[in-house]
Amino acid sequence: MPMEKEFIEGAEVLLMGNEAIARGALEAGVRVAAGYPGTPSSEIIETLARSAKPGRLYVEWSTNEKVAMEVAAAASFAGLRSLCVMKQNGVNVASDFLLHLTGSGTRGGMVLVTCDDPGALSSVNEGESRHFAKLMEIPLLEPADFQEAKELTRFAFSLSEEIRNVVMVRSVTRMSHASGNVVLGAIPEAAERAEFCCDGPVLDPDRGPVISAPVVAKHRLQQEKLRRAAAIFEKSPFNAYSGPEKPELLIVTSSACHLYSREAVSLLGLEDRVGILKLGTTWPLPPELMKKRMAQTERILIVEEVLPFLEEQVKVLAAEQVREIGIKTFYGKNDGTIPMVGELNPDLVASAIGGILGIPPYALPESYREKLRMLEGLAPKREQTFCPGCPHRASFWSIREALRRDHRGGFVCGDIGCYAMASLFPAAGFHVSKTLHAMGSGTGVASGFGKLGPFGMDQPVLSVCGDSTFYHAAVPALINAVHQQANMIFIALDNSGTAMTGFQSHPGLATNAMGEEVPKVDIAAVCASLGAKVVAADPFDLLKTRETLNELMEGPQGVKVLILKQSCALSPEKKAGKRQMMRVDESLCRGEDCGCNRLCTRIFRCPGLLWDRERKKALIDEVICAGCGVCAGICPAGAIQSGEAVKS
Amino acid sequence: MQFKEGEKISAETGNGQGGQKELEAEVLGSGLCTGCGACVNLCPYQAIYRDRTVTLHSCDLDRGRCYSFCPRTPANLDVLKGRIYEGGYLTAELGAVKEFFLTRAADGGLRQKAQHGGTVTALVTLALREGLLDAAVLSETGESLLPRSVTVGSAAEAFGLGGSRFVVSSTVAEFNRAAQKDYRRIGVVATPCQALALAKMRTQTVAVPGNGIDKLNLVLGIFCGWALDWRRLADLLREKTDLADITGMDIPPSRYHSLEVYTKAQTIRVSLDEVTPCIRESCNSCGDMTAEFSDLSVGSARLPEGWDTARFWNQVIVRTERGADLLDLARRRGVLEFRDVPKGNLEKLKAASLSKKRKGAGVGEGQPVRSNPLEPSTESTGRI
Repeated sequence: MPMEKEFIEGAEVLLMGNEAIARGALEAGVRVAAGYPGTPSSEIIETLARSAKPGRLYVEWSTNEKVAMEVAAAASFAGLRSLCVMKQNGVNVASDFLLHLTGSGTRGGMVLVTCDDPGALSSVNEGESRHFAKLMEIPLLEPADFQEAKELTRFAFSLSEEIRNVVMVRSVTRMSHASGNVVLGAIPEAAERAEFCCDGPVLDPDRGPVISAPVVAKHRLQQEKLRRAAAIFEKSPFNAYSGPEKPELLIVTSSACHLYSREAVSLLGLEDRVGILKLGTTWPLPPELMKKRMAQTERILIVEEVLPFLEEQVKVLAAEQVREIGIKTFYGKNDGTIPMVGELNPDLVASAIGGILGIPPYALPESYREKLRMLEGLAPKREQTFCPGCPHRASFWSIREALRRDHRGGFVCGDIGCYAMASLFPAAGFHVSKTLHAMGSGTGVASGFGKLGPFGMDQPVLSVCGDSTFYHAAVPALINAVHQQANMIFIALDNSGTAMTGFQSHPGLATNAMGEEVPKVDIAAVCASLGAKVVAADPFDLLKTRETLNELMEGPQGVKVLILKQSCALSPEKKAGKRQMMRVDESLCRGEDCGCNRLCTRIFRCPGLLWDRERKKALIDEVICAGCGVCAGICPAGAIQSGEAVKS
Repeated sequence: MQFKEGEKISAETGNGQGGQKELEAEVLGSGLCTGCGACVNLCPYQAIYRDRTVTLHSCDLDRGRCYSFCPRTPANLDVLKGRIYEGGYLTAELGAVKEFFLTRAADGGLRQKAQHGGTVTALVTLALREGLLDAAVLSETGESLLPRSVTVGSAAEAFGLGGSRFVVSSTVAEFNRAAQKDYRRIGVVATPCQALALAKMRTQTVAVPGNGIDKLNLVLGIFCGWALDWRRLADLLREKTDLADITGMDIPPSRYHSLEVYTKAQTIRVSLDEVTPCIRESCNSCGDMTAEFSDLSVGSARLPEGWDTARFWNQVIVRTERGADLLDLARRRGVLEFRDVPKGNLEKLKAASLSKKRKGAGVGEGQPVRSNPLEPSTESTGRI
């Protein structure tokens, strides 16, 4: 979204939640923004990067979330407003720094935006970042609509400056990726000069060194800041109540769950009986506001996604205030009224409310269900897999064949990227990837497996990792493996971009987030500098890749590095291009006869290959085939052939 | 291979049908795979790597040639033998025995390159030279003791390939590959398990277009006690010498209790106590020492003069008319030298063979042994 010209003050525009957050930061006068890509957070930094200008806004994709937070903190220390952005598990990566940062405090307003992914739509975890706010003793804000996403972000900067500490803003997938109307505010001109004043006494918040010591004194100060935040929250316009003065049921909610709650109450027609307390400031809770609302009802339902974070805070306050507000009945996750895992939706909230109030649950009309069933039948069943032309499919094919040939039960430690699908879906990884955890963990785990030889383990140990993940967290693990002389093969699946999240830049590329030309950090050179044996292959060359892998497995002990380099099929330079026209020679295609048994469409399963059930022959889906030519190498009959090269 | 015409009885037993899933369960995953390669080069799912047959991807067909051809899947060996051999010559211990000889290659140079008397190499080169065969599937020494199966089209190419290799080569896989080429008369030098696979291929009932088995013209069996696992053998010998220096190996008679490893500089004697753990697990359930499903079988000789003389001779069992013709031709052309068979030699060979059958069937001394057990406890690879 271009954030200037057509997006002028006072205009009402349709913005995606992440764009609204970015706009809020711009309206707050953010000067430095850093992040690491991760769904559903990536669009915030991307949007800001389009508004970057020297001296006005610096934006970077950092190597990882911890570095991003450190980069943003430096700007704050120098008096500038700064933002760091990450997805839920990124906060884990940054948390060690965050613990110390919240102890030292900040200067220029500094905001941490985390976008959580309830239901793990684009994650391999359902991590809850809200607990970090409590753990690190910093305020937590949660927008409940798109306008609020902008306003809360802007407010977060001033709150940060008010309490001299980081403020956390938490969004969720349905907030970040949905869109709504937002009325824009003004973007201030840059006037501040960056300067780190550090020659004052230790406890001087404006001129002293920025450290978390003396720890106890600073910790006490941090808790005072939090109490100040709670006092501010008592009067915050981001906390709002709607409903009857004395509701039969009080819903306490935040974020996207506020929208679900409103819709559920409306579906059930209970506006006169059920009240909704929407909280934008969810940690620390404002005690007086909570007391006022809880005193007016006997029954309280807490509606939130994933863990009962809000529920627990509300119950603690209710216990503390029991003499004033009386004994309440609570409904939420702990008693099973609301599911403890997965996303919520209006139906789930409606059935929770119905259960409490003894109202038959809201049901979709039968005619609607009938239509749903009909549409389900029309939709082709699709499994998650790699795109046509994806180099990962070719890489995993060769890894599979090399491991099966080697015959010692070798396996792959997987990692985070599109190639994580190799651990999740048979059609993607051909069953070779057997562990999957955090970014870079595949190599760390492999380093550990690689030391188990003396305990009798003779299975070859491989790890895979994409280029962006390499810089993010695999490097320390690889250094460890080299230093500890672990027996393992590290395979860099270098597809020249942070492909899964949409081609954000990383240190291996010559262009940064703002489109500037920057020096590349070469993976092979880094690995070689560690003393590992480094070889490279083109994953589209199946035979050479497989043979190289088998040689590495037979080779001397220690860490061996294989770099499989081939750009992502959706990369800017390849997208919409077709390398060559593929064709099937039907006279050669063996069909279903014993001898090949549809290896191409039953095992290899590139979406660009089809099986013609009537003719019993393979087919190329010319619309989606990327012309990578890899399938020509897997057809045992030579029926799949590369045609002429296609000029893009 | 010579077959009697007109018999259409399938050797596949009731359980003898299956696909890759059954092959995995009953053979590959049970340590029974001989590495013969009968299931390889028929489809993209099975492959040979080093001395192992591996499954690259899973096939979901209920029936496959992989299962039918495998020498370790159930088959009625009586039916199989009945189809191939004339009943009068069948023995319980050695299969069909038409004739029994002691021979060696007349060419001393050839003997030097080959194992023992060099009879196999002499017969293969003769058959190629005379046009009885236009191709022979043999094995050659590859890197680090790992043999490689090759198809040669001339006596000159076959000449240098004699010698036992102690690690299985994927001979039948190479036959499967060669059978798809333009050759018309292919001979195969086969271990007992490989010879059995080739025999099963002739009787299989799975419908296959262009199988190429009709091109199989001659099976020269080699005696086999067991084969060694390549990885374990290489690891063992690496402790003794540089693998690249090894020029050959042999197992002298049992009283020596050793594996002799020859390098240019010396002969290294490795105790069988060290070698036995390297034996391929599938060989422990094999009961065929003399490659009973061949046209003629060749092994090392035993002579009253002792090992120093016997090591340069071979024992030959002639099993079929075609085998007899080839040996006769070799005699007429002066390619082989013959010597009198000492009294009791055949009986000793029968006793040795029976001993392997007992071991393979898991039967102790003195207990009766079925000559043609139905279950896969009948054949395997290796050398004596």
